[in-house]
Amino acid sequence: MTPPVIELRSVVRTYPGEPPVRALDGVDLRIDTGEMVAIIGPSGSGKSTLLNVMGTLDRPTEGSVLIDGVDTRELKERHLCGLRATRLGFVFQSFHLIESARVLDNVANGLLYQGVARAERERRARRALELVGLGERATTKPPKLSGGQRQRVAIARAIVAEPSLILADEPTGNLDSRTSDEVLALLDRLNADLGATIAIITHDHEVAERVPRRITVHDGRVSELTGVGS
Amino acid sequence: MNASIDPTAPDARPRRSRLRPVDRVRTGLGGLASRPGRTLLTALGIAIGIASMVTVVGISSSSKADLLAELDELGTNLLQVRPGQSLFGDSATLPADADAMVRRVATVEDTAGIIAIPGDVQRNDHEDEPNGLSIIATDGRVSETLGLTARVGRVLGVGEQHLPVVVLGSLAAERLGIDSIEGGPTITLGDDSYQVIGILESHPLHPDLDRSVLIGESWATERYDIDPNHSTIYIRVAKDRVEVTRPLLARTANPAAPNEVDVSRPSDALEAQTKVDDNLQNLLLALGGVALLVGGVGIANIMVISVIERRSEIGLRRALGASRGHIRSQFVIESAALSTLGGALGIALGVGATAAYASSQGWTLSVPATALGGGVLAALAIGALAGLYPAAKAARLDPADAVRPHA
Repeated sequence: MTPPVIELRSVVRTYPGEPPVRALDGVDLRIDTGEMVAIIGPSGSGKSTLLNVMGTLDRPTEGSVLIDGVDTRELKERHLCGLRATRLGFVFQSFHLIESARVLDNVANGLLYQGVARAERERRARRALELVGLGERATTKPPKLSGGQRQRVAIARAIVAEPSLILADEPTGNLDSRTSDEVLALLDRLNADLGATIAIITHDHEVAERVPRRITVHDGRVSELTGVGS
Repeated sequence: MNASIDPTAPDARPRRSRLRPVDRVRTGLGGLASRPGRTLLTALGIAIGIASMVTVVGISSSSKADLLAELDELGTNLLQVRPGQSLFGDSATLPADADAMVRRVATVEDTAGIIAIPGDVQRNDHEDEPNGLSIIATDGRVSETLGLTARVGRVLGVGEQHLPVVVLGSLAAERLGIDSIEGGPTITLGDDSYQVIGILESHPLHPDLDRSVLIGESWATERYDIDPNHSTIYIRVAKDRVEVTRPLLARTANPAAPNEVDVSRPSDALEAQTKVDDNLQNLLLALGGVALLVGGVGIANIMVISVIERRSEIGLRRALGASRGHIRSQFVIESAALSTLGGALGIALGVGATAAYASSQGWTLSVPATALGGGVLAALAIGALAGLYPAAKAARLDPADAVRPHA
């Protein structure tokens, strides 16, 4: 049986301090292949910590995170990085594009740390750009793009390595409502047409309502929201 | 989108993250290319350090090459014999036949003796300012033995030994205010008037001749009551036989008292000057080194700022799979490349400055290849070293923190 794309088992993340902060307080979570999930919570709820732990940018204090069945606790730095390079794609609220690099290079960077040769990186980056509808802007530099276009470039970068899971952290946070709709529609389409597994972290209930499965985070604990929306 | 994962081996460890060497360099250079102005300004510090060092080495090397070429031309096979001091500290004299004895040594090609004559040299008889010039009587072979040439007129020939004529050393001519023999200028030695028939070229090996007035030995011994013993004997030795000949000369010139003879090689004195220059050169090199160090600190500084400014880029790269090592190498390469750029710039500047100075001095340009290679290597090493701390700082950044938007 195919293991879940990501599974969190009793994950606790505390930050030292007086008193210590329990940002994640025993989180169990499982996302399967092809799912599209919204993780909702107000700021300070532990949602950013959850994203970081899911994305292996941060390690849990207790419990384990399994990605594609691989327990990340047992991975050394270089393997953990390899896992990020191959199986995780990130979309950030502030896009995180390298402004001096062409759109094509920004997208191709999604394959950089897998050791893929440049020509191949560019070939696959062009394909990813086609998928997000920016095939024509490959040689443009980010400062010439609108916010929505930039986020689509970032999405292309996240999918170029065909990861198991795409983690989108407030992907529409810096966009107006019309552009937000476009970006969400794009994520919908990637999920529906290509079977991409996507987790959207957001504080915006309107965004969450477009997503089939919703998980709320509150005081470091998660719970499934059922029966609302589509 | 799970095509890359093998479902039969779900627990297989993921591959290590990996950056091709060419991409390693490319990411390192990318940071520089995106900030050309800052890159150039930062590289300038190193450029100035390297340029000054290359210039110091280049100018010294060009001047030394020139001096050595000159020395070679003047001859390093010339020795001179002079009376030294007796055991009791009195001034010794050379035996009258010392010249003839020395000439009999098989490896000696040529000799010429001179006699220093006490007395004043004046432009004319109604002047009595001291001018530090001396009078030397020569036997006519001296021009050939020493390779003296006349700048104006002619050297003292064998046929002019019995005539009241003089040849002026270059400095002597200058002090007496004579730069031509047209109109038959005369000078006064003691009470006698002499016609100037030539002015010698300056001779770096024999600065004492430059300051002298040369008269014929035969004339001088007939005319004045002087000690006929030579005060200096110049000896041209067969090339490559200098070292074997030198120890023989004292005994040959004065068999009775070889310890009263000083044997020296004039070219040694000139060579010693280059040694003195070494000290100055080392001092200047050290100053260049300080400039280089300051340039290195400047690079480290800028790199630290760059790491702070680019924290989100670092966070992004970590999210894309870059390991700490990848981030570290990116910044070390960037720093090394920045410094190497400065080094290349500095070499161009240094060679340019050396070429300009060498051409103004009429020297041939000579910059040792080690200075060029060493310059680039030093810049590279300093850059890499300067990059270590900022790179470590970049690698230590917490990726979760770095990707978070900062105000």
